Formats: sequence, C-alpha cells, structure tokens
Amino acid sequence: MILYQGKILENSRQDELIESMINVLYKPMESGMPLSTDTVINACDQLAAKIKNGDYDDIVKPFLSLFNISENQFQDMVRLFTREGLEYKCSIELSDEEKIIDGKILRKRYPLGVLLHIAAGNVDILPAYSVVEGLLSGNINILKLPMGDSGLSVKLLYELIQIEPELSDYIYVFDVPSTETETLTKLAKLCNGVVVWGGDAAVKAARNMVDVNTKIIAWGHKLSFAYAENDASDEQLKALAQSICDTNQLLCSSCQGIFVDTDSKDEQLEFANRFFKILCEVNSLSTAVDYGMRAKNAINIYNERLEKHTTGNTILSSDGISVIAKDDSSLELSYMYRNVWIKRLPKSQIHTLIKYKNYLQTAAVLTTDTSKQEEIAEKLALAGVVRITSAGNMNRTVCGEAHDGTYALREYSRIVEREASVE
Amino acid sequence: MNYTKKLFRKKDIYNLEKTDELFVKAMKENATFQYNNCQDYKRILDDFSFNPEALEATSDLARLPFIPTLYFKHHHLQSVPANKQVIKATSSGTSGSMSKIGFDLKSLLRGLDMVIQVGKYHKLWSIKPTNYIVFGYQPTKTNKTAVSKTAYGFTLFAPAKNRTFALEMTDNGYKLLLDKVLKALDKYSKSKLPMRTIGFPAYTYFFLRNLKEKGIRYKMPKGSMITLGGGWKQFYAEKVDKQDFYALVKEVLDIDEDHIVEFFGAVEHPILYTDCKCHHFHVPIYSRIIIRNPDDFSPVEHGKIGLVNLMSPMIHSAPLLSVMTDDLGILHDEKCPCGASSPWLEIIGRVGVSDIVTCAAGADEYLKK
Repeated sequence: MILYQGKILENSRQDELIESMINVLYKPMESGMPLSTDTVINACDQLAAKIKNGDYDDIVKPFLSLFNISENQFQDMVRLFTREGLEYKCSIELSDEEKIIDGKILRKRYPLGVLLHIAAGNVDILPAYSVVEGLLSGNINILKLPMGDSGLSVKLLYELIQIEPELSDYIYVFDVPSTETETLTKLAKLCNGVVVWGGDAAVKAARNMVDVNTKIIAWGHKLSFAYAENDASDEQLKALAQSICDTNQLLCSSCQGIFVDTDSKDEQLEFANRFFKILCEVNSLSTAVDYGMRAKNAINIYNERLEKHTTGNTILSSDGISVIAKDDSSLELSYMYRNVWIKRLPKSQIHTLIKYKNYLQTAAVLTTDTSKQEEIAEKLALAGVVRITSAGNMNRTVCGEAHDGTYALREYSRIVEREASVE
Repeated sequence: MNYTKKLFRKKDIYNLEKTDELFVKAMKENATFQYNNCQDYKRILDDFSFNPEALEATSDLARLPFIPTLYFKHHHLQSVPANKQVIKATSSGTSGSMSKIGFDLKSLLRGLDMVIQVGKYHKLWSIKPTNYIVFGYQPTKTNKTAVSKTAYGFTLFAPAKNRTFALEMTDNGYKLLLDKVLKALDKYSKSKLPMRTIGFPAYTYFFLRNLKEKGIRYKMPKGSMITLGGGWKQFYAEKVDKQDFYALVKEVLDIDEDHIVEFFGAVEHPILYTDCKCHHFHVPIYSRIIIRNPDDFSPVEHGKIGLVNLMSPMIHSAPLLSVMTDDLGILHDEKCPCGASSPWLEIIGRVGVSDIVTCAAGADEYLKK
C-alpha cells in the first residue's frame, strides 16, 4: 500500500509516483510557513483519543495479540501520542526553540527538511511513531515500510491525515523492498536526512546508499544487561527475573545477562545458583514460552552441555530456561526466552565495556548499598551505557525519555542563526 | 562381518520390520567404530555413561546420545584420516553457520547402493537423454554446499543432454536467472526429449508463479519431471500449500502430479528420502526416526509433534549415527495408499522460527563478526 498526498494507492503505481514526487514534495516550503508543532500534537491527540475509545479495535486488537502486548503496555504506548505526552516530549527535546545571542543574532530551530524513514519490522507501531517524530520537528516524511508490514502504519497515518488534512503534504508511505536499492537511493536523494531503524546490515546498507551530504540518523540494535553486587536482595533478583520473563529478552532494553562484581569463580557460581532458583520460580508463574522457541533452546542448552569441555561453562537449566555461568566478560546476546548468562566483571573493569560503543543501552544496577550503586552507575555511564535503571525498570516507557542517548527531535532539526535585520 | 553394507544392499527399501534387527546390529557396529576412532564421540558417550555395546534392540536406539546439527557447525568430527575423506561437504548454512563433514569412499559406496535402490523403487532411472533445468548453482571449487553437489548428482539419473543452472552467486546472495531459464524452457518444450527440473522448491515455485503471472504456458514433452530438493529454507513464510504447487505445475508446464518428486535429506543425515505418489516421506530402511518432546527429549508417540531425531549407520567417516535436526515434525503411521509400510515423516517447520525480528539479536550478529 502507498500513501501519497493523503490518498491510499496501489503498489503498482510506485515507480510512477516516485518519479513525479519531486513536483509536489517541496510544496510546503513554497508557502514559507513551517508546520506548527501544535497542529501535529492536536492531530495525534485526537487519534490517541479515538484509539483509546476503541474506534480502531479491529486493527489494534489483532496487532496486540500478535506481538503479545498487554493492555497496560498498550496504554503506555498510546500515552506517547497524547497531548500531554507529546507536549512534554517537545518541551524537553525542543526546549530552546528560539534565542537571541550576542544581542543581535536570532538563533532558531528549523526542521532538517525531508526525512526518509527506513523502518524495522520488530515493533509494528514504530514506523508510524518515527513519522510522528519527524512531523513534530516540522519535517516532510517519506516512510519506507518494513518487510512484512501488517498495514497498521498506513492506516494510522491515513487516519492522522483525515483528522488534519494539512498533514497530507508531510506524509508519504511506500512499500519498497530493501533489496530495491536503486529506488531507495532515488528516494534518499530527495531527502536531507535518512532515519534508519534496524540491525547493522540495515544501517550499513543505508550508509552505502546515501550521498555524503545527507545526514544519517541510525537507531540501531542495542544490548542491555544487569550489573550485580553480591549484596543484591532477593527482591531485586526477583524483579529482574520478572522483566526477563515479561519481555522474553527480545527488546533492546531487555536483560541478556548479569555481570557480577567479583573475580572469584566460586562467588560467581553461588550467585548463578541463587538467581537460577529465583528465575525458575518466576518462570513457573509466567505464561509459558512459545513451543517452537522452547524447542530451539532445548537444543541450544543440550548443545551447551556437549560443548562444556571446551567452553568451561557451568549450565543450570530446567523447563527450557537456563542460567549459564561463563568465564569471559564479553557482552553478548543470550539465547533469549529466559536464558541468561552470568559473567564476572569486577567494578574496576567496568570501563572495558567501552569497546561495545554504540551497542550499549540499558544496565540495571542490583545492590542494596546506595554508595556502591552511585559508584557503579557513574562507571557504567562513563563506559557508554545510556540508561541506568533499577532491577525491575529496564523496560519502562517514560514520556520525555531520551532515545538511545540522544533526543530524536533534535537529531531531526538544525539550528539557523540569523542576524537581526539591518536598521 | 559388515552389517551396514548388508543393510544398504537390501531391496525392499520401506520394510522396516524386516530390517530392524539388522539395523540395530549395524548401528552397534558403527557406534563401536566411532567410539574407538573419534575422541569427541567417545567423550560424549562417556558423559552420558552410554556403552555402544549396549545397543541390542530397537528400544535401545532412543538411549544412544544424539548430537545436534548445531554441534557439527562448531566441531569438525571425523573418525578416519583426512586423506581418506574423498568428499568434504558443507550444509547450506540457512542460519549462517555450516557443518563440515567428510565422507570416505566406504560411506559413498553405501550411498551409491542406496541411490540405486531408491531410484529403482521410485522409477527415477531412465536411459532417455534428458534436458535438465537445475534450480541450484553450478558446482564450483569454492562452492562446497551439499545441495549444489546433490542437485548436480540428480542430473545423473538420466543421461543429460543439456544442463541449465538457474542460480548465480552475487554479492547479495543467489539470484535467479529468469531470462536464461525461460529461454532454456522454451527450447526444451519444443524438444522430443523429456525435461527434468531439480532444485529448491521455493525457487521452482517462484519461477513458475512468475510464468503464470506473465501468462506463459507450455506443454512439456512426455516423461518430463519436476524434482524438488533442498527444502523450503528461508522461504518458510512463503511456503505454499503443496496442492497449490502441483496445480501450478500442471497449469504452467502441463506436468502431472505423479511426475513431481520431492527429496529430503541433510548433510548430517545423507539418506535419500523420496516422497511416494501420495507425497509422503516414508522412512527407508537405512534410517530410523525418533520424534522427541523438546521439554525432556523423551520419544513421543506417532502422530505427535516434536523434534526430529534422525538415525543411520550409513556414514563410516564421522559419527552421524544419531543426529538431532532443527526441525519439528510428526511421524505418521496411518496406512498409506502407495503401499509402503513404513511410517512417514511430515516436517512442520524449523524450531524457533518467529516472524518477530528482535533488535537485540541484530546487534549480536555484528559483535560476532
């Protein structure tokens, strides 16, 4: 499905429309009137109210069950689109919209211009959300749908235009496959910025595709973990286990494993045993993991046992979940679906995480000693972690929160400084 | 005494009952050989306190420790010296990593015996020169995947007049050479000689669907055959209903359903599974299958889904006796109209296949490079 100038059109018209888009794309700039943030917030707020009201249940409900999203999580998502949420977001991210400097220079924020959003397929609401962020910062937006898109993005954006027809000049959606690099290059040429969601392959592909004078804003994949002291309480471990079971470790902010502040293998194993018991308990009270994933991890865990002689790993497992104590201190993806690694990383070595650079996202700190907590948080932050949370809060959604260490709206903006007119 | 050799010479290839005793003896014979000649295998069996001498009855087979295909991707297991491994094959690496397995002459000769028998049973042998379209890639020195080799191998069932390879390696993976195949097909349709296609079902399907959309129809020469092998791989999501596929073949190429044959096999279990006229993969005498419950690996009864554990004493050069695949499947024992008495395997899909691409998983891919 294509969304073009407020109309939903067939995919077969893609080439023709992209070819002629240049004639309409820059129309909003001709007027000299920027898109006001208020207009966008108004439209989103009305859309959010309709969604809350159940007007789109036929679209929304299947999506919730497909992605296993609870009603509470969904309400958190909708809150992101309400007036309250968006105004708060803008107040933080666009706080200094206008400023006089040096007595005579007017500094003002402007949109980058045209953004191409290359969306990822892991969360269905993201493509639409990415466009909303582009709108809030005043940009014209071209969205490339992810493979296997369910149609939700087009429907939501179409509804947004119904509420506020002015937006029809600011929203374009195409269903170009990622393999059609020629078409994507053509689209990217029209844009001032390319927003990429997805893995390294997607980001790399975008870098190859985009001219050097086009800004790339990459929302890449991240890895998150917990850092624990031996004095961590059972409640903290329980809260961490709960978030692991709730998200099945699928999110960028999900805990893949736990670094323990020790260089003693005995202490590490003791901690592993303690956490394993708690994870088993929490798992037994949670919804069972999908059969196919359980089967996959059954093989992974069995294989871990066969490979024990070379890896030296200690494997604790039952009912398809596992805690694997390893000797190295590298940050890696777990088997997911409630399979956690545990590694030694003394406080003095936290800085070594710096090598993971932009992959670092969330770290939960588990200790009952407040002074240690401060010290660890500071070290993690210096090493490159951008969200430091308590055990149960790794996956929180908070309005106005920065995104992977930066503010999206600022990334989609530029600063223009203009001297006051000559007297 | 060589029980395996004997097993592979048997003619009644779907009569499991008659070969049960011989199969267990062959497994014991091979397990003992592997145990004494492959350190890794010995360690694994020792870890499970399993003595290969304990293999006495079919009921003992389930206790023989299995090795997941994943293990072969990390470890090169061998039980004969490297210079005896005449063919080194790698799996096609659907999920990125590949198994490397060396086959010695002894194993290959057993394979040859098997192919002769299976080919006879399924009437694949023909002396008529045949035009081949291979939906695979031309085997090269750098391309060691088993699929490319077996696809080539299938062009030996009937003498090849021409071979057209439909896939080409590019930087972005394999590309279907549509025009080239279309040209060949056009030529072969006018020939008096039968045509056979062999290759990935997904590519064959996409090709035929493309033809259908373009409105192209052929009447292929009598005796033409569509043979499919290599599985549906990364196209699980696009997996089509088999009946739709047969109808498509009939519509576009005018080839009847009974001339569509599908094969199934794996580098780690190189047994030639061939579907019967009812399109069931019956278990041949060279192989036994145990479907296991993923939660505790206990065997499940026929008709229930589980992990597919394949067993065979065929390979002498590596311990491939009991291999756990990444597939979920069902073993059916309903009576099949084709007359073969052995149960048949239905592959349901790969474990852990999920439509949801995770963001954390993506980051890790790069870290491992």
